[in-house]
Amino acid sequence: MKSLPNSVLRTFQAGALALMVFALLGASDEGARFNSLGHRLMCVCGCSQILLECNHVGCTYSDRMRGELMAGLDRGENDDLTLQDFVQKYGPTVLAAPTGTGFNRVAWIMPFLALALGLLTTIFIVLAWKKRPALAAPGGVLPVSGAELERFRTQARKETQI
Amino acid sequence: MSQIGSFALLLALALSTYSFLAGVLALARPGAGSERLGETARRAGIATFAVVFLAALVLVISAFHDDFSIAYIFHHSNRDLPAPYKFATLWSGQEGSLLFWSLLLAAYGFVLRLRHKTDVRLFAYASAIISAVQIFFLLLLNFAAHPFALMQGELPADGAGLNPLLQYPEMVIHPPMLYLGYVGFTVPFAFALGALIMRYPGEKWIRITRRWTMVTWAFLTCGVFLGAHWAYSVLGWGGYWGWDPVENASLMPWLTGTAFLHSVMMQEKRGMLKMWNMWLIFATFWLAILGTFLTRSGIISSVHAFAQSSIGGWFKWFLVITFVTFTFFFFKNKSHLRSEHKLESLISRESSFLFNNLLLLLACFTVLWGTWFPLISEYVQGNKVTVGPPFYNKVAIPVALLLLLLTAVGPLLAWRKTSLESLKRNFMWPALGALAVGILMVVFGVRPWQDIAYFYALMAAMLSALVGLTVASEFIRGGRVISRHTGQNLLASMVHLFHRNTRRYGGYIVHFGVAVVIIGILGTPFNQDKEKEMGFGDKMTIGPYTLVCESYTQDDNPNYSNEWAIINVFKGDRKIETMYPERRFYKASQQPQTLPRIRSTYKEDLYLTYEGLNEQTGRPIIKAHLNPLVMWIWVGVLIMIGGTVLALIPNAVPVRVPAPARIQTAPVGAGD
Amino acid sequence: MTVATLTCAMVTLGVLFYVFYLPGRLHMGPEKTRLAYLQERKEVVYENLRDLNFEHQAGKLPDQDFKSLKASLEDEAAGILAEMARLEQAAIRPLPGRKETRI
Repeated sequence: MKSLPNSVLRTFQAGALALMVFALLGASDEGARFNSLGHRLMCVCGCSQILLECNHVGCTYSDRMRGELMAGLDRGENDDLTLQDFVQKYGPTVLAAPTGTGFNRVAWIMPFLALALGLLTTIFIVLAWKKRPALAAPGGVLPVSGAELERFRTQARKETQI
Repeated sequence: MSQIGSFALLLALALSTYSFLAGVLALARPGAGSERLGETARRAGIATFAVVFLAALVLVISAFHDDFSIAYIFHHSNRDLPAPYKFATLWSGQEGSLLFWSLLLAAYGFVLRLRHKTDVRLFAYASAIISAVQIFFLLLLNFAAHPFALMQGELPADGAGLNPLLQYPEMVIHPPMLYLGYVGFTVPFAFALGALIMRYPGEKWIRITRRWTMVTWAFLTCGVFLGAHWAYSVLGWGGYWGWDPVENASLMPWLTGTAFLHSVMMQEKRGMLKMWNMWLIFATFWLAILGTFLTRSGIISSVHAFAQSSIGGWFKWFLVITFVTFTFFFFKNKSHLRSEHKLESLISRESSFLFNNLLLLLACFTVLWGTWFPLISEYVQGNKVTVGPPFYNKVAIPVALLLLLLTAVGPLLAWRKTSLESLKRNFMWPALGALAVGILMVVFGVRPWQDIAYFYALMAAMLSALVGLTVASEFIRGGRVISRHTGQNLLASMVHLFHRNTRRYGGYIVHFGVAVVIIGILGTPFNQDKEKEMGFGDKMTIGPYTLVCESYTQDDNPNYSNEWAIINVFKGDRKIETMYPERRFYKASQQPQTLPRIRSTYKEDLYLTYEGLNEQTGRPIIKAHLNPLVMWIWVGVLIMIGGTVLALIPNAVPVRVPAPARIQTAPVGAGD
Repeated sequence: MTVATLTCAMVTLGVLFYVFYLPGRLHMGPEKTRLAYLQERKEVVYENLRDLNFEHQAGKLPDQDFKSLKASLEDEAAGILAEMARLEQAAIRPLPGRKETRI
């Protein structure tokens, strides 16, 4: 009985959060969009820098590209279309990160796949090692027993007190 | 001069080849004469150092004498280059830095061979392996990237000059630090492989290499962060890490090396993870070579592509050969690497190390994957794509946060077994503290639901607090135990505690440093920047600062001409500083450069660059960045280095107990 | 040219002399003895025991776990100490016809 209101509450919370995100998206002004898109593009002058961070003295590309980005936004194009224009003009390397389509998806999936596989393997190893039967005494040292054991145990205890 | 250098390189190649062959022969065929042969091999290794040193010396002297008949000096120096940069010519270009690699390796080998009496046979194996690596670099230097190659035709009057980006004080120390780190991992690798080949009984090799590994790690850490600091202070884009392939290349061995530093403790203390450690140290060595290759081959475009050439083929073969050799010996002597203990509990230091290794390796894999994906993409779909900061920020940050969580929890776990009860008890106060930090941040305006970056920043702050607090609680709890026994006050007890186990508590200080670095990094989402054309008296406001342009001025010296802005910085009505962002034009290389100026406080950095003149209006453009908390990155690194240095101090309470060691007759065979 | 040649010749001679002139007796060092190996193991087990004691006192382990872990480590230490004692005895009075065993 208790769980029902909780889940309803959670649904509301999730809904509210989603609404808020949409509201925030809608509220983003052109400056923020310019900033966000400009950080998703690379300068193509060969400096390997993000477009808005390229500060090469005399870079002949970044100013022009920033102008083109601004023009795209002024035309009222959406984000995808604006980025697509850049890809058409400068080739796919102009995007600062692989897209989420086609083979490029592999770039994104792989690290998380590796994390999942790694986690599973580690958990498996931990469990397997825990279940492993007691191993033979390392280095071939034979166990001792009886009075000898007591004597040496006492010696070890004495010598390892804090 | 150049003849002496060329000859020294040839002689060094002959010596290291001899050192390797004679060393292997002496080890493979023990018997009459093998001891003398082994000794000559050791001495040839030592002599290699002397001769490579001579070659490096010749190159440096040639740089100081402006000997432009040597092509390398012509390409990387000029008459008016200041003296420290002339010295740095040694590692400014490809041939020189390969020579420098070789020199550092020879120097490490020199120290190792002098200390051979610690364990003569093990050191002989390590020495032979180091010689083998040395042969590769000397082959490269003699036949593919000769630093003493001569200029053809008429001698030029002046050199082409050093890349302006490299004319910065930190550049004099960043490459040596990084290289000391790269090269240094050859030593623990050589010992690990040597111990495997000879089926060395016991884990003493780890004790022998423990300090080497820590020192090497500290150098690499220093190198990586000096690189970041250099990028911040010189490249002028307002950031310190651009996920550039070459930055990545230095990060990869750092990640695997860090994993090795942790997991090797499991082998040392518990005889576990032997095979894993073997692969880990091999991977670290291999990635260090790969890093050198990426930096120096120009295979992947990068701001570091200072050198492009055909040495790629050599490196590829070397990487293949080392992999095959290592794999061969690994499978041949695998039985020697059996684990000695089982895992007693899931909640133990051991299992935390396993997860730590998983995450560090995953981070390394992600970086490797991102670095190579453009090439993979070209192969699969016929076109290159860019894998830039947006990719890494999305993928690497969650991994880093998980690592931070583990860094916080790890120290609370005891070896072998920890009760859940005690974990809960010990974790509660730090967790409450971290929660308080989180609440405070939200109160002070961080809205994690607005942007994922803010969410990450909040998590990073809370986890950093958690790391700091668990470290503090470990010191306090341990200090109390000591205090109970000795009656000292808590502070004295904590110092005593540190001296009992410097590696552990030094390590905790390193962890604390990492948390501080993360605090510095988490300022990034709150960065602001503004760009404005500023004439005399014009104002710009950014954050709490008002910038007023006083004037512009210029100067000229033989190396470069420069102009800079004089900007007065006000906070409220109070003038707090005058800053001089600068632009230089280097004459020899005909290259311009911007030099940002930075005002650092514990709260934020004000970072100004003089971008140049607006082509249409002719008015100067100033760009200002406000980067919160950046200073903590550098403070954190200093703490990390300090912690490592403390961890190097020998334990005050001797762990050894006196025992007679008179019998020298019965050799042990393999430990299996 | 001659200075360079002379320098090269001197360096070569010096190096050859250093590498190959080996007066006196040399040895590659003894092979690692079983006793030395046991000594290392003992140090490791002792360190683990000290750690265990310390971690128990710092409140990370309940008494029951502490006792069982301590017992197993002490057993391991006792085995090592016993073998070390035997080896030392044998070194003082070598038993006729008995050879040191290899591990």
